[in-house]
Amino acid sequence: MNPNEQALMERYIYQVTRRLSKNQRKEVALELEELIGDMLESTGSMEAVLTKLGDPKVFARKYQDDRHYLIGPEYFDAYLWFLKIVLLCTAVPILLVSIIEGVQTAGTDTTQSLMAVVIKAVVNGIIDVVGSCVGAFGGITLVFAVMERQKMKFEIKKEKEWSVGDLESTAGRQNSWTPDALSPIPSKNAAISKGDSVVGIVFIVLFCVLLIFAPQLIGVYFKNGESLSSVPIFNLQQWHIILPFFVLWLFIGLADEIFKLVMGRYCKPVMISNIICGGIQMVLTVVILKMLPLWNPHFISQLQTQFGGSSAAQFFIDKWDGDFVSNCLVVFFLAVTLLEIGTTIYKTLRYGSKTQ
Amino acid sequence: MDANQELLNGLLMELRRGTLVLSVLSQLQEKKYGYSLVQSLEEKGVAIDPNTLYPLLRRLQKQGLLQSNWETGGSKPRKYYRRTADGDAVYKELKNRWQEMAQSMEKLLEEGEA
Repeated sequence: MNPNEQALMERYIYQVTRRLSKNQRKEVALELEELIGDMLESTGSMEAVLTKLGDPKVFARKYQDDRHYLIGPEYFDAYLWFLKIVLLCTAVPILLVSIIEGVQTAGTDTTQSLMAVVIKAVVNGIIDVVGSCVGAFGGITLVFAVMERQKMKFEIKKEKEWSVGDLESTAGRQNSWTPDALSPIPSKNAAISKGDSVVGIVFIVLFCVLLIFAPQLIGVYFKNGESLSSVPIFNLQQWHIILPFFVLWLFIGLADEIFKLVMGRYCKPVMISNIICGGIQMVLTVVILKMLPLWNPHFISQLQTQFGGSSAAQFFIDKWDGDFVSNCLVVFFLAVTLLEIGTTIYKTLRYGSKTQ
Repeated sequence: MDANQELLNGLLMELRRGTLVLSVLSQLQEKKYGYSLVQSLEEKGVAIDPNTLYPLLRRLQKQGLLQSNWETGGSKPRKYYRRTADGDAVYKELKNRWQEMAQSMEKLLEEGEA
């Protein structure tokens, strides 16, 4: 082998091994070196040898395991469907929010030309939409990828149970699947409709978008002469502390919805997921509403300075009590969550194992 | 005609792929190194591309049907493969099944004489 051929061979081996996992590389490199050396002796031309071996990319792929995907065919349809809904629910409200903000700025800010304001609003809107869609995409992909891995672990465990001993029985290899493995068609009452999940998901995503992009829009609105102005109800100074809890709360709800949708019926795993997610959500509800400085501490004084004369505002000024509102909301959310968990448990136990 | 030829090639490749494991196992009662295996199979009319054979050898080893060891005595280090005890058992069973299959196929093909 002359230096030229040697170099060519090394390049080829590098192109194959760089595509393999680290623990395979050394061994495969040695094997290839042996093989190429042998083939060179019998054909005489390095180029002929490498041509016969073919594209190193293809060669490397044959060394790898077959499974090279993040989300497999089993989950892919649900994944796509989900992506569509969530991306739509993310993009549309964000666009709306930026349009509203643009209109507000155009109304109040007279120093800039209308054109400049419009362009700014459109650009900001697009940046927000793209950014949050990428985030939503990543989040959903993560959830599905985790589900795929979990299922995979399960399958690999099953495969290991096979042993050579199985070959010795004359009845042939027992397939691990039997008709007994068919799960019964779920009773109609146990089925989880896509429609229900969609409502849940749309609500969660909309709320999430609103809380992330426009918490200032949630507030009390009054007509002040010609223009509409508002006093935000949330504590926007502390928002960076509060928001993560909110988002976590919503994300857990979303994960639960996704899981429900993929399972398609009330059954034990759905029940367990619902109990765990509901439990965490209840804790977070209490944390957000009772322990974090959620409400705008200057709510009343801002109302007074902005709408002091209006009688409707006076009503708020007289009646507003953050603690009371928090307590009401805690009771409300705990009741809703408990009701949902209760329904899930009931449906699972009552219909979960029943057939049509 | 070309499309037919392509189809035929695809089908042939599938047929051959199914027999690869059996072919390889059959040759490895005695230890052999990779390229000698390519050659001995080729001489017997069973051509197999090295870029298919080498990954296959690794897979069979991972499955416990083959064992390998490097021998450094000769002019250059060589990796030799041979069947393990499990490999022997699997080979024997596969071979029996193959023979049954070949007989049945033979019958089918006689009946379907075109």
